[in-house]
Amino acid sequence: MNVEELEKEKNEGVNSIPSTERRNFLKMGLAVTGVFLGGTVLSLTSVKTARGGNADSVIPAEGQYPYTKHYGMVMRQNNCIDCEKCLDACRETNHVPLEHDAWRTNIQERLTTVDGVEKREFRPILCNHCNRPPCVRVCPTKATYKDPETGIVVMDYKKCIGCKTCMAACPYNARYFSHDKYAIDKCNFCLDTRLAAGEKDTACAAACPADVRIFGDIKDTSTRIYKLLHEPDKKIWVIRPECGALPNVFYMNA
Amino acid sequence: MKKEFLPVAVAILAGSFLLVSHASATSATEEYDEDAFGPQDPIIWDEPAKASFDHKIHTDDYGLECDSCHEDVFAMEQGIAPESGNFTMAAMAEGQFCGACHDGDTAFASNTNCIACHAVPEDPIVWTKPVKAVVFYHKAHTEDYGLDCDSCHDEAFAMKAGAAENAPDFTMKALYKGKYCGACHDGETAFASNTLCNTCHIGKKGYDRMMGVEPHAEKKGTHGGH
Repeated sequence: MNVEELEKEKNEGVNSIPSTERRNFLKMGLAVTGVFLGGTVLSLTSVKTARGGNADSVIPAEGQYPYTKHYGMVMRQNNCIDCEKCLDACRETNHVPLEHDAWRTNIQERLTTVDGVEKREFRPILCNHCNRPPCVRVCPTKATYKDPETGIVVMDYKKCIGCKTCMAACPYNARYFSHDKYAIDKCNFCLDTRLAAGEKDTACAAACPADVRIFGDIKDTSTRIYKLLHEPDKKIWVIRPECGALPNVFYMNA
Repeated sequence: MKKEFLPVAVAILAGSFLLVSHASATSATEEYDEDAFGPQDPIIWDEPAKASFDHKIHTDDYGLECDSCHEDVFAMEQGIAPESGNFTMAAMAEGQFCGACHDGDTAFASNTNCIACHAVPEDPIVWTKPVKAVVFYHKAHTEDYGLDCDSCHDEAFAMKAGAAENAPDFTMKALYKGKYCGACHDGETAFASNTLCNTCHIGKKGYDRMMGVEPHAEKKGTHGGH
C-alpha cells in the first residue's frame, strides 16, 4: 500500500463507501452468521450443497448433484403439438381433479402473427423440482420438501395445513389445492404412482407421441436426458431463471 | 332558393323510381321458364359427396331437352340417385348417371374437371385422430399453391371424409415415408413433415377455439359442496 499516494486522494467520508467494499463487508457478515447458525437459515433448502448451475449455464455442473438420483426433465419444446395426451395421462395416473385450476402439468399456448401468418407455440409446464425451491423455503410445517433420494419436491399431505403459502411462493404456479386430500398437491414426477412401481418414466412422458418430454436421472451419464443436456451445440433454457430457484426442467428445441 | 330546389329533387326521385320500376318490369318479362329449362336453382347433393348440378347450364346454355336425361339417366323425382347407393364416380366412369354424357366425347370426362360439380371445401378439414387436432386448408393448397384435386386425390388421400383419419397408418411415421401429406411435404416439394409442427397441429386449444368450446365449461361446479 502506497500511503503517500493515498494521502493525495480526497477523503470520501463514511457515507460513500465503494460498493465493492460494502459488498465484501456484507458477505463477511453473512458468512459469520451462517457459520454460527449451522447454515440452516441462509441456505434456502435443507440440503446445504444444492446447486443447479454454474455462472453461465442453467445446466447443473458435474459433481454438483446433491441427491442419490437427480431427476429432471427436458422438453423438446418445438415438438409439442398440444394434443394434451400428457394432461389426460397425468390426470388419470395421479387422480388430478378435473378443475381448471387443478393441474400437475399443463400446456401453455402463445399465438403470434409474423408477416401476416399466424404462428403458434406450445410449451408444456410442470413443477420444476427446483434445487432451491421457494415453496419448500416458505412452508411453515415442512409439509413439502426435497426428497433426498431423488431430488423430487414432494408433499407430506398429513403435515399440510393448507395455508397456500407455497402456492404463492412457487414461481411456476405449479401447485393447487386438492379438496379431496384437503392439502396442497403438485407434480411429483409420478414418484408414488409409477417410479415406486419400477417404471422408468412419468405418465406424461410415456404418453407423449411427439417425444417432447424426456425424463430421467441427470446424474447418470448413460441416460438420454444427460446426453441431451450435454449436447454442446444445443441451446438450453429454463423458465424464469432470474428467480434463482435453479429448476430441473430444461427446455430446448428438437 | 329552397322552393326552387324542391321540384328538382322531386323530379330526380320520380325519375329514379321510374327507372327502377322499368328495370324490374323487363326482368319479369324474361323470367326463367322452369317448364322448359328445369328447376332454376342448382340441385345440390350431399351424399355420397357434396356436388351440384345446374339445369340451366345444361338446357338453356347447351340446348339439351328434358328427355336427354329424364328418365333414362336420372329419375325426375328428387333424391332417387343418391339413395340408389350407386351414385359414385366409379358408376359414372361406367357410363351411369352423369357419365352417360360425361365420357370425354360428348362432354368432359367425369374423372376430370372435378370442381365443375364438386366445390373445394370452404371450411378447413380438422382431423382429431390420432392426435387432436390437425388442420388442412383446401383453399390454401388449390388457390395459393395452384394444386389440382388430382394432385392429392385419390393417391395420397381418398376423397371420402374420414378415410385417412380412420386408417391405422395415418401417422407422422407414414408421412416421413411419403404417404398422405408426406407425398409433397418431403422437404423438397413442400416443407418437410418433421418441421414446422404447429403449422398444421393446432392443438386441443386451437381445436376448442375453432369449435367454440368454452374453456373449462365442463369443469364448473365440481366443488359446490365445499
